[in-house]
Amino acid sequence: MATLLLRALHPLRRLRRGHRPAAAVSLRVCSHGARLLYPDHIPTSPLQKVLLAAGSAGMALYNPYRHDMVAVLGETTGCHTLKALRDQMKRDPEGAQILQERPRISRSTLDLSKLQSLPEGSLGREYLRFLDVNRVSPDTRAPTRFVDDEELAYVIQRYREVHDMLHTLLGMPTNMLGEVVVKWFEAVQTGLPMCILGALFGPIRLRAQSLQVLVSELIPWAVQNGHRAPCVLNLYYERRWEQPLAALREELGITPPPKHIWGLA
Amino acid sequence: MAAPRRRSLWSCCGHGWSWATRCCRVPGLCSSRTWGPLGAWPLSQQKRAAETHFGFETVPEEEKGGKVYQVFENVAKKYDVMNDMMSLGIHRVWKDLLIWKMHPLPGTQLLDVAGGTGDIAFRFLNYVQAQHQRKQKRQLRAQQNLSWEEIAKKYQKEEDPLGGSLVMVCDINREMLKVGKQKAMDQGYRAGLSWVLGDAEELPFDDDKFDVYTIAFGIRNVTHIDQALQEAHRVLKPGGQFLCLEFSQVDNPFVSRFYDLYSFQVIPVLGEVIAGDWKSYQYLVESIRKFPNQEEFKEMIEDAGFQKVTYESLTKGIVAIHSGFKF
Repeated sequence: MATLLLRALHPLRRLRRGHRPAAAVSLRVCSHGARLLYPDHIPTSPLQKVLLAAGSAGMALYNPYRHDMVAVLGETTGCHTLKALRDQMKRDPEGAQILQERPRISRSTLDLSKLQSLPEGSLGREYLRFLDVNRVSPDTRAPTRFVDDEELAYVIQRYREVHDMLHTLLGMPTNMLGEVVVKWFEAVQTGLPMCILGALFGPIRLRAQSLQVLVSELIPWAVQNGHRAPCVLNLYYERRWEQPLAALREELGITPPPKHIWGLA
Repeated sequence: MAAPRRRSLWSCCGHGWSWATRCCRVPGLCSSRTWGPLGAWPLSQQKRAAETHFGFETVPEEEKGGKVYQVFENVAKKYDVMNDMMSLGIHRVWKDLLIWKMHPLPGTQLLDVAGGTGDIAFRFLNYVQAQHQRKQKRQLRAQQNLSWEEIAKKYQKEEDPLGGSLVMVCDINREMLKVGKQKAMDQGYRAGLSWVLGDAEELPFDDDKFDVYTIAFGIRNVTHIDQALQEAHRVLKPGGQFLCLEFSQVDNPFVSRFYDLYSFQVIPVLGEVIAGDWKSYQYLVESIRKFPNQEEFKEMIEDAGFQKVTYESLTKGIVAIHSGFKF
């Protein structure tokens, strides 16, 4: 009986030390009165979304190094398209698994030593080479903030993390020309307004020579491959590291790029 | 026998259990003060007293300083650009009005607290320099019958262009001071300017040192405003003036609605697009709403010991300049 009383006083002692339950922190209500659906969520009103979309589009054009602006544009304009993408992922068995398990691609979740040890020509090895050659890291992707649905927030985060995979699959570098080509591919594949806008307005910043190559050869190639390939968001890349890149390209119907563009742009 | 003893123990524990559960509900989980025997209420009072607001969030007092420091560390580089964007350049007029209200004479010792990027300090230096030049011109005009040698000597004398005026810029944030120092170098301000790292609640100066104390758009970020006001009273000379330029309450309900809409809908978006920082600008607009209104702040200044406290609302009450004197 005495022990019962002592056990009853334990929570009191813990509370006295200032213990705050974890749930209280995550359910913090922001100034709009809406609850946060995921850790980085910032609830926004429709007016704010419109202003953000316009502002981020302008800033991304003015300063192409502002990748966070491209991300914000995608989040604020993509609500309908993300729903369609999510439903399409649910219909595909591999896509449904991705939605269930929610894998993330970052330096902490990737086993870099294992990827290094894979044979040449495999997806994992080529992806690692792409990261090294272009001096990029999967951790530089901004977290989703302005999407008001928790599952759709994951879908757009997955899209962003898969973007580097697309560079590897298509063999495109991370300069302006390569990015525009990948945007055309993504625009056809996903239909996200941000991709469409990027594909249409990105070329403004290119030199005339690159522009000519882009319009005459690269865009038709990207569009064709985009139509032919199944949705790239449905691929569970984490389980395909050992798969040879050539085999994966054949499976998706992606042909090699028409011209060696690493010297351009 | 065992049974009666157990019953009596159980009844004892029963009471103990309900006492324990009542006390369990106290710290941090229950905000009502209506119940509370057995020392549980003073505990919750203590906990509540140690909390303050950070925008619309409630945070422990010890944390507020650090959080505000982080906000200004993040925004320091884009501070001036964002000020222009958010206020459409009107903040320049407000700061000019503050200096004109001050009417500093050459020889004034000014302490500008939370003056990080130096806007007030530079305006002060421009003003006293212009005043000093005007005084010199008047003197020359009054002495028309000087020989040309005496006039040449007057020009050669290395006189202080500021007439002995000094401004000390004090800020708690290193990044803001860095930006201010860089601006001073770029714009050519060298004489009469000092930069000090210091906390408004505990100024690193002696008593009775300055003629004027200004704090522009800084006092609402201070954790203990009353302490900052007391420090201001301490470091001013007798006869010294306290001036505060700060966001305040809008008196017109029509303007207030547009101001709220603009503050909460547009400003965080501007912060995200231009500076890549939504949360700092969300804190900014929320902290404005948490600051006391013109009358309440006037009373706080009077409580610190200032006299002849007045205020002037600018732009329909969006900002207000409070002024007080130490006698």
